[in-house]
Amino acid sequence: MKSVCIVDAHVVTAYGGGLDPLWDGLVSGRSAIAPVTRFRVDGYNPKIAACVDLAPAPPGESLLPQLLERLLSGLGPVPPDSRLLTATTKAGIDLIEGERRGLPADLGAILPDQLLAWVRGRYGLRDGGYNVNAACASSTLALARGASLIASGAADAVLVCSLDLVSEFVFSGFAALQALSSEPSRPFDRRRNGLSLGEGGAALLLMSEERARRDGRQSLATLLGWGVANDANHVTAPARDGCGLIQAVRQALGRAAVPPAAVVGISAHGTGTVYNDLMELTAFAAVFGERKLPLHSVKGAIGHTLGAAGGIEAALVTRMLAQGVMPPTVGCDEPEAGADGQVSATVTSLPGGLLLSTNSGFGGINAALVLGKGER
Amino acid sequence: MTAVLLGLGWVTPGGMGAARNAGGFALGGGELPEIERRDIFNDAYQRFGRLDRFSRLGLAAITFALRDARLEEWQEKRAIGIIASTRLGCLVTDIDYFDGVIPEQGRLASPNLFAYTLPNCFLGEAAIRFGLTGSNFIVSGRAGDPLLSLRLGLESLAWGEEEIVVVGCCDLDAPPALADFAGEDPGAVFAVLARSSADGYGTISTDGADGVRFNDIPLEGWSELVWTALSSCS
Repeated sequence: MKSVCIVDAHVVTAYGGGLDPLWDGLVSGRSAIAPVTRFRVDGYNPKIAACVDLAPAPPGESLLPQLLERLLSGLGPVPPDSRLLTATTKAGIDLIEGERRGLPADLGAILPDQLLAWVRGRYGLRDGGYNVNAACASSTLALARGASLIASGAADAVLVCSLDLVSEFVFSGFAALQALSSEPSRPFDRRRNGLSLGEGGAALLLMSEERARRDGRQSLATLLGWGVANDANHVTAPARDGCGLIQAVRQALGRAAVPPAAVVGISAHGTGTVYNDLMELTAFAAVFGERKLPLHSVKGAIGHTLGAAGGIEAALVTRMLAQGVMPPTVGCDEPEAGADGQVSATVTSLPGGLLLSTNSGFGGINAALVLGKGER
Repeated sequence: MTAVLLGLGWVTPGGMGAARNAGGFALGGGELPEIERRDIFNDAYQRFGRLDRFSRLGLAAITFALRDARLEEWQEKRAIGIIASTRLGCLVTDIDYFDGVIPEQGRLASPNLFAYTLPNCFLGEAAIRFGLTGSNFIVSGRAGDPLLSLRLGLESLAWGEEEIVVVGCCDLDAPPALADFAGEDPGAVFAVLARSSADGYGTISTDGADGVRFNDIPLEGWSELVWTALSSCS
């Protein structure tokens, strides 16, 4: 099996474009979750989310191309022979909001193949590519597929682009599900009461070690293991025993051929809902036992970016590995009983070793990645 | 990459069924049948009434495929994956959902319908119903690539990620707002593939490029796979 390197990673979040603003925002402890001004929220409660500073879309157009442009403008060169995977849950769903209110709009642009065409066109990629939709685990699963393509020798460069918008469509749905937090979300905190939506994207370029060396690309991190599993339990709620996440993490460790002891920290899904966070603590305890591993969630800072979450978090993990520290979990002041000593409101030193990154989503899906430090 | 075809199931304008109990198969123009719980299940599967049309379509075809492969019954959860391709996804459900948001500024939004605005949720329904704990996800590629999920399923088997995978396609009729897509084939067809098995209809393989073959016959789409498999049954 070939080694899989992450040779480029760029993100766009409500903090701005790039890993630097994200890292600085997290270290500052300031949440980017703020009142929504993009669409009318008087019918909804709460009224907050973490939106990227985008200009209003022209009538009949989506904000997605603008978000994509922000994302790709920060990415380095992409070889035209790269395979392409995108990950979005609702792509340009904001188009539907005007169209159903009688405004002209081309609903065809909602479909993921439009997103694929934009990315292909920008880099002249020969691969047709495909979009992965596995709810909030979409980009983690896309990274896993991309890694398998490289590990198996089927490809030696894969671009994984993930993004999702904050739209009235999605905001109204999570409000109807009563899943939104009344204040910026508090992952793993005793007082957490729901999630905050976020918007953003991540673009990661994966290469085989040989290709990275040949192209003179620096490895930011190595993707050593990955796993995906379904709870087969409930469509919108996590399995309380964490069965699917446990299976996904064990697969990822198995593929990396490392014991649980090799993992020194976890970038968790950490949505801030009561049941998700408890499920994750249960699963991590089942895999790692009594070890109190440093645990992080980014979602109190930039909200839950849905299909983009795993991509943004994997990019952030590359920075954690490089810096040897884990940034604060913004919003967590009083950790949940099972997270005592694991989730911190301050920067935490990480000993040398591997990091685990996990995501879970509607439909009962769970995905896990094991990442190691790159060569600098 | 090769796999054994264990089962086939479908819902098309021509009818619904499975290869060993061939119902009408006619992937092409026409209206899809309304799918009722009793068309698929004998038990009182109460969740079925909550499902949107897209989920009913996909769940029905997956059920027929697993039944055809004799994998419907289970005692313990199984690591079987599902990969479904779609062009339009659950856009019809998206429209229905958002039409319920508009009148009262979201106060009447349906939480149940919102859950099904994620196209992968019917895969979760199938996972629950049949105890499937493998990887499952929706894929959308560019037009003219109908066998994308079949190729990805073969990859999963070759990479050792699954022993058995259910692959297929699922699309409702295009809504009026997407008139450009009218005329594309509505329906769902799913196939159960195993890395190895003594049973089955034959062998599915890739030809090194993007092509897929069944019993060495090149396939251009799902219809050819079903017709070739049916001819091998007769």
